[in-house]
Amino acid sequence: MKQLIGKWGKGLGIYLVIMILFPFVMPDEYYRSVGIIIGLHAIVSIGLCLVMGLAGQVSLGQAAFWGIGAYTSAVLTTEFGLTPLLGLIASAIVPALFAFILGRAIAGLQGYYLAMATLAFGYIVQIGISEWEPVTGGANGMISIPKIGFFGDSELSMYYLIWGIVTCVLLFSLNLMHSRVGRAFRAIHKSEIAATSMGIDVRKFKLNAFVVSGMFAGVSGGLYAHYMGILDPQPFGMHESTKFLTMVVVGGMTSIWGALIGALLIGFISEGLVLLSEVVPGLQGDVDTIVFGAILVLIIMFMPEGLVPRVRSMYERGRTKKAAAQTGQRMERKAAS
Amino acid sequence: MTELLQYVANGLVSGGIYAIVAVGFITIYNVSKVINLAQGEFLMLGGMVTVAMIGMNVPYALAALLAVLIVTLVGVLMQKYVIAYVKKASPISLIILTIGISTLIRGLASLIWGKDAYSLDPITSNQPITLGGVNIAQQSIWILAAVLIVLFLLWYLMDRTMLGKKINACSINPMAARLMGISPAKMSMLAFGISGATGAIAGIVIAPLSVTSYDIGVLLGIKGFAAAILGGLGNPLGSTVAAFILGIVESLGAGYISSGMKDAIAFLVLIVMLLVKPSGIFGERSVGKGGL
Repeated sequence: MKQLIGKWGKGLGIYLVIMILFPFVMPDEYYRSVGIIIGLHAIVSIGLCLVMGLAGQVSLGQAAFWGIGAYTSAVLTTEFGLTPLLGLIASAIVPALFAFILGRAIAGLQGYYLAMATLAFGYIVQIGISEWEPVTGGANGMISIPKIGFFGDSELSMYYLIWGIVTCVLLFSLNLMHSRVGRAFRAIHKSEIAATSMGIDVRKFKLNAFVVSGMFAGVSGGLYAHYMGILDPQPFGMHESTKFLTMVVVGGMTSIWGALIGALLIGFISEGLVLLSEVVPGLQGDVDTIVFGAILVLIIMFMPEGLVPRVRSMYERGRTKKAAAQTGQRMERKAAS
Repeated sequence: MTELLQYVANGLVSGGIYAIVAVGFITIYNVSKVINLAQGEFLMLGGMVTVAMIGMNVPYALAALLAVLIVTLVGVLMQKYVIAYVKKASPISLIILTIGISTLIRGLASLIWGKDAYSLDPITSNQPITLGGVNIAQQSIWILAAVLIVLFLLWYLMDRTMLGKKINACSINPMAARLMGISPAKMSMLAFGISGATGAIAGIVIAPLSVTSYDIGVLLGIKGFAAAILGGLGNPLGSTVAAFILGIVESLGAGYISSGMKDAIAFLVLIVMLLVKPSGIFGERSVGKGGL
């Protein structure tokens, strides 16, 4: 932990300051709710980043775990009278179980097959939610899901609760990345065959990444359900999965910070587009779809490693250049004297 | 019994469409090792462009022809300016890229045509034909005819012409193909063009039967992808059979279990299949190295 703080000290410090101060810099309820939604997305995208960047897999159905989490907690609290806290715990466990079963099943699949399997899973879950009417309310959805009481129910306390969880998820994932497990994951991302020959149980690691990502998505979904108070199956489909994918890809698949920054960027872009469509009435249709599609295409074409690794390598190159220039000058001075 | 036959007949029609999509996937995959998840958007564009042209008082046949040409061009441009640019990308990046393209096209379509559903007149009358108690829309027969013609032409092109031999050569070993004076990049562009054209034709013939709108491509594309995988990636004949099986299973599921669960049933079949035999019913055909 100490090492971690040393290594990430600067980044973490900046992150904490911005995170804590944001609600006071923007003391508007609206911005707080935007912050909350971004936080919820960040939890999912960090989980997805573990699957994609570290384990080198792809999940095109991440919104399904989000949806399972949301509905688990919603159904347990409204129909069985559980407290939201217990509901939230269940919303971590149930999607993780689903992820475990699915992950067990598809652990042997790669590339396109894996993409297809997760796509199919995403559709099955969304259709399942809309069709299982007696429990989920079908397409009409659910109403009056209780708010989370144990932390106060104002926007501000919700904001801190959610960003507290984001921070935990972030620290866990960063820590994971710099442990043996993380190194194993990166080895798998680079080359599965090489990793296997180094004695890494590739299947087990991939499965673990999948389960953890399912759990993160589930918790986020549960929080979403209690925060919104209403649910319908619409946000748990392909569109949302693509959005999560965009967040991870923009920030950089191999970087946990990237996933967080991706979630922030996409969140702000979404809000910006909402504001824009109020000003420009001609913008019918899904403008956000166009933007996300374009972002995905452009990033893969021109910056496949993503924003954060690119900026980091530029920064480091700049520093080494500077250092090299300085030593060069020193040498010259020495030579002159 | 008539009920069963009715479902099978319906399944054959949707299976035919999936077959065209699946073969489109494979045409591209064999040459360039890219799974083009934007394949479904070709269908959507085919239908929507035709509708838009007819709205501009262009005669039906000409509108359909122009739509096919435009979508072919979209396919070619997509390969030339986007896919070819990232030739060294990993499969994950390529998947993400084509998802991005598909999302982009869908978004643009919703911006241009809005989110309304449009319908196209059937090629011949709306009167269904009754055959042994089974009602078949005339358009269904057109669809099946179009599917069979397209599949036959593709087979002929790939198996019986010099051009097909060139494409196959690129898919087996691009380096050797290049040494023989064949440009893999051009063949890949051609493959995208062919996929665009066949997709557009499929999109036009189904538009009268079901309405067409900006978002029909997603599901059609994924079902076609499912069929391509079920039949064994890279195996056009296997995928065609798998597509018809998928269409019939789905139609039976919709009829006997629940119409809302129709798509879930198709995908469930796929997941089970992936678990039991990931290489597809008929086995993945060894398609060589391929690549751009």
